[in-house]
Amino acid sequence: MIGALTRIFDNLLGRGEAAVTVPPLDGAFRPNRLLDEAPSRVALDRADGLAVVAGEIVVSAGDTVYKLAADGSLLVRRSFPAPVTAIAAVGDGGIAVALASGEILVDGGAFDGRSYKAGEGLRCVTALAVSDGHLFLANGSATNDPADWPRDLLERNASGSIWRVDLAGGASNRLAAGLAWPAGLVVDAEGVVFSEAWKHQLARIDTARPGRPKVLQHDLPGYPGRISPAFDGYWLALFAPRSQLVEFVLREPGYRKRMMAEVAPPYWVSPKLKAGRSFYESLQGGGVKHLGMLKPWAPAMSAGLVAKLDLGFHPRSSLQSRADGRTHGVTAVVEHGGQVFAAARGDGVVVTLPFATAGEKGGRA
Amino acid sequence: MTLSDRIVRWRYRYVPDHLLGEILTKRWVDNAIPLLILLAVVAVFGSLIPGFFSAISISNLLRQWGEFGLIVLALTVVVVAGGIDLSVGSIFALGNIVALALLNVAGWPVAAVIVATLACGAAVGLVNGLLVGYLRLRAFLTTLVTLIIVRAIVDMLLLKYSVAIAAAFPDTEIWYYFGEGFVFGVPFSVVVTIALAIAMHLVLSRTRAGWHVLAVGGSRRSSHNVGIPVRRVICATYVVSGTLAALAGVLFASRLGAAGADIGIGLEIAALTAAVLGGNSLGGGRGSAAKAVIGSVTVMIMVNSLVRLGVTSGANSLLLGMVLLAAVMIDVRWLKNRQKFLSKVYVSPTFADLPPAPGTDGSSPYALNDRLEPVGAIGLDRIDGPEDVILDENDNIYVGNRTGDIVRFLAPDYEKQEVFAHVGGRPLGMAFARDGALLVCIGGMGLYRVGRDREISKLTDETNRSWFSVIDDSRLRLADDLDIAPDGRVFFSEATIRYEMHEWPVDCLESRGNGRIICYDPNTGSTHTVLKNLVFPNGICMTHDGQSFLFAETWACRISRYWFDGPKKGTVEPVISDLPGYPDNINRASDGSYWLALVGIRTPSLDLALKMPGFRRRMARRVAPDEWLYPNINTGCVLRFDESGLIIETLWDKSGDNHPMITSMREHRGHLYIGGILNNRVGRLKLEGADPDWTGPASYWSKA
Repeated sequence: MIGALTRIFDNLLGRGEAAVTVPPLDGAFRPNRLLDEAPSRVALDRADGLAVVAGEIVVSAGDTVYKLAADGSLLVRRSFPAPVTAIAAVGDGGIAVALASGEILVDGGAFDGRSYKAGEGLRCVTALAVSDGHLFLANGSATNDPADWPRDLLERNASGSIWRVDLAGGASNRLAAGLAWPAGLVVDAEGVVFSEAWKHQLARIDTARPGRPKVLQHDLPGYPGRISPAFDGYWLALFAPRSQLVEFVLREPGYRKRMMAEVAPPYWVSPKLKAGRSFYESLQGGGVKHLGMLKPWAPAMSAGLVAKLDLGFHPRSSLQSRADGRTHGVTAVVEHGGQVFAAARGDGVVVTLPFATAGEKGGRA
Repeated sequence: MTLSDRIVRWRYRYVPDHLLGEILTKRWVDNAIPLLILLAVVAVFGSLIPGFFSAISISNLLRQWGEFGLIVLALTVVVVAGGIDLSVGSIFALGNIVALALLNVAGWPVAAVIVATLACGAAVGLVNGLLVGYLRLRAFLTTLVTLIIVRAIVDMLLLKYSVAIAAAFPDTEIWYYFGEGFVFGVPFSVVVTIALAIAMHLVLSRTRAGWHVLAVGGSRRSSHNVGIPVRRVICATYVVSGTLAALAGVLFASRLGAAGADIGIGLEIAALTAAVLGGNSLGGGRGSAAKAVIGSVTVMIMVNSLVRLGVTSGANSLLLGMVLLAAVMIDVRWLKNRQKFLSKVYVSPTFADLPPAPGTDGSSPYALNDRLEPVGAIGLDRIDGPEDVILDENDNIYVGNRTGDIVRFLAPDYEKQEVFAHVGGRPLGMAFARDGALLVCIGGMGLYRVGRDREISKLTDETNRSWFSVIDDSRLRLADDLDIAPDGRVFFSEATIRYEMHEWPVDCLESRGNGRIICYDPNTGSTHTVLKNLVFPNGICMTHDGQSFLFAETWACRISRYWFDGPKKGTVEPVISDLPGYPDNINRASDGSYWLALVGIRTPSLDLALKMPGFRRRMARRVAPDEWLYPNINTGCVLRFDESGLIIETLWDKSGDNHPMITSMREHRGHLYIGGILNNRVGRLKLEGADPDWTGPASYWSKA
């Protein structure tokens, strides 16, 4: 009763739960341009997932998986009948590929040619992880496709789930459900750590005793996506920044509903992988160009944000592309051979940074 | 339009939300709560006490109020200057006994008695003033001490003279007139108090001395820094206070002629309660005679009515103390939260339903193209924010900039630039008058004229005040664009009367008709408002018939035509009512049509928000302004249209790199010159097929 009253009061005054504050970009998230300053940039339209397979970098884009050669050239590894929504290395030299159709195929390696289906109606696989003969997958939403993530956010859904599939036997079981767009997975000694995008948090499920996930890190300044292991911690791609305006719109059911019904999705007030493509998109006050220039600090619906986490999943430093940058919407990061690779789907580019830059300067620039 | 939209529209059309904020900006709103309390007190006791409103009761009350009111006025003077005077009750008693002693015992003439008594009060006040003002002792303790000392003196005088006073009966009519006489049916003391209250009001609000008192109360240090003699001012307030308290004592002496030991005891608390209850801030700086009057009437009625209701005197004091406590609390909270509250309620968006936006693709007259791609930049990075661009017959370019200059780029290559005139403010729209003078609308200042000899003169900065406008709308806040009729009358737009220039996004958020079009007539030197309640009126351009002009309403996305002369005089007709973006300046084209700058394009998400005022209001309160949903003014275009509203052509810069923002354009000898209020350049585009000899000034003035 008191809780309900507090909520009504908060809603009226914009306090507590109804406050639209977002954490400032400070500490590990101090602004920098490291992603834009990356020495190597390879253009690849819709570049999305990254994996390290037998010492090679593999990139998914649209319905095709490419190999990224050391000289920056791209070779087609394989095309699939539907868009690829997530990839992960499996076995020796194989990749597991989740398709928008809901299928998971394995290409190459020990399980070459196998296909899996974790459960009926799973059509929104956002991330894959492999460990000890098991394949873990995150299903972002029970109702929306991966490409429809802005709608899932605006509908304030929490219908995602995490599954475990036995690679040898094909049996699957659900580890967690009711998650707000789980979008990244990594397996550590204590279980599976996943990112829950709409709750801006990282949490862990104990695979031996699945129960309530334990929150490891909360109130991130962006929507966390895929996680990958690093030399001394983890990399986390935050695919879009949070903003006060979006937080506000999320608390305005009337406007949200009408916007989804009456406005075309590209022009919604919602985070994007790349904003500012059309003059029909909403503009925020700080985004007004002055003297022909968009200010880097302008509030933006898109940005490039990569966080370096320590072994306890605390952000230690970050790689960024600011409002006026050209590496927005980073959906995946991997580290290999002293280099960090980031796929920026928003700008359609894969950037490569020496790890020294990323690890040493990140967050302190 | 859906039913719910219709309900919302009706709700916002008939409930004037914006008035609440406007009322709160008024200083007189400080009096509102005290006045309400007074009315409540009158209502309560008027109904409890039979005969409360009878002539005798009121006359009796009034006579007492005359004396009490004087004491409250005395205290108010001190409180407004940031001090406090607890000795008023004692000085009142002193005045009483001194007046009686001088009259009854010493047998002085009445005039001398009054002068001496007032001098006596002034002397005590001077002691207070010297101690508090010059020696800077704490006002509270100092006046507490004088209270005790003066009380002791009164007691000593009483011992010595009370018998003699009681025995004597002075035989002067005039003396009794003070206490018992009427002026046109009003007790004499009331007349004195009201006269003094009016005088005090005038002094505080209209004279230098009064402003000094308020300034010292508001901030001692700042007053000192601007050169106000703080110590002298403070000292003077105590002298005035002592004199007024003594005057009250004289009136009391005349009315009762008694020298009792309990006269004036506890009076300071009652007076303090009255002063604070009336809304005089104990912190100083905020207060007025009106507040003192309201507060004293309230307290007077309360105290008297409680006595008449038979409440014991202890309970009476208790109640007074409670009221004082409550009044102080309200004072503190009100002072602290008024601005906060005002900032929350001032912005009051309204329902704005724009017609569906025409597309910018395919066969639409607004279809995208790259015709602005070849625009050349003049003064790149050497000019900050040329809102309007105008050229004279010698092809020199004139633009305003952000720092209040009118900058001239010299023909023919525009490499050299000079400050033509420094006018201050934010120069916006410009036009050449018949004599070649440049008339400029300056945001924050008004309508100005810069002659060929560079002499700057103000044409007007105010218009007639509307009868029913709560905020003072006579002063021009945001003169935006102008044009000149053939007879020399200047018509100019004022975008909004509710906000300052830099707050234009807030006006967009409101999307109410806050703007107007004003006419300045140089023949009579008069200014008057022509059209009101326009939604951010912006560009103005004379049509070729000499009887009408076109004007743009930015947030309403429409162009209308107004006839100021001829058979259709006074009528407004729509020309284009569904622009895809936000219109800014309008100017003549060489072929008789008109150029229009669209400063930005409508976005579907903002169009939807315009239909949801509650959403925008909450956004204004909860979201930082830099994060607000704005009209998208990063991309604009130039249109050409004719008087029938037909779009002839549209010029876009698809990439937006070349000319980021367009607020104005001016055709001149086959070229189009483009300005943008946030730009760092003036754009120049060669127009194919345009008359290479056509100039604006010639189009306006050569025919006549």
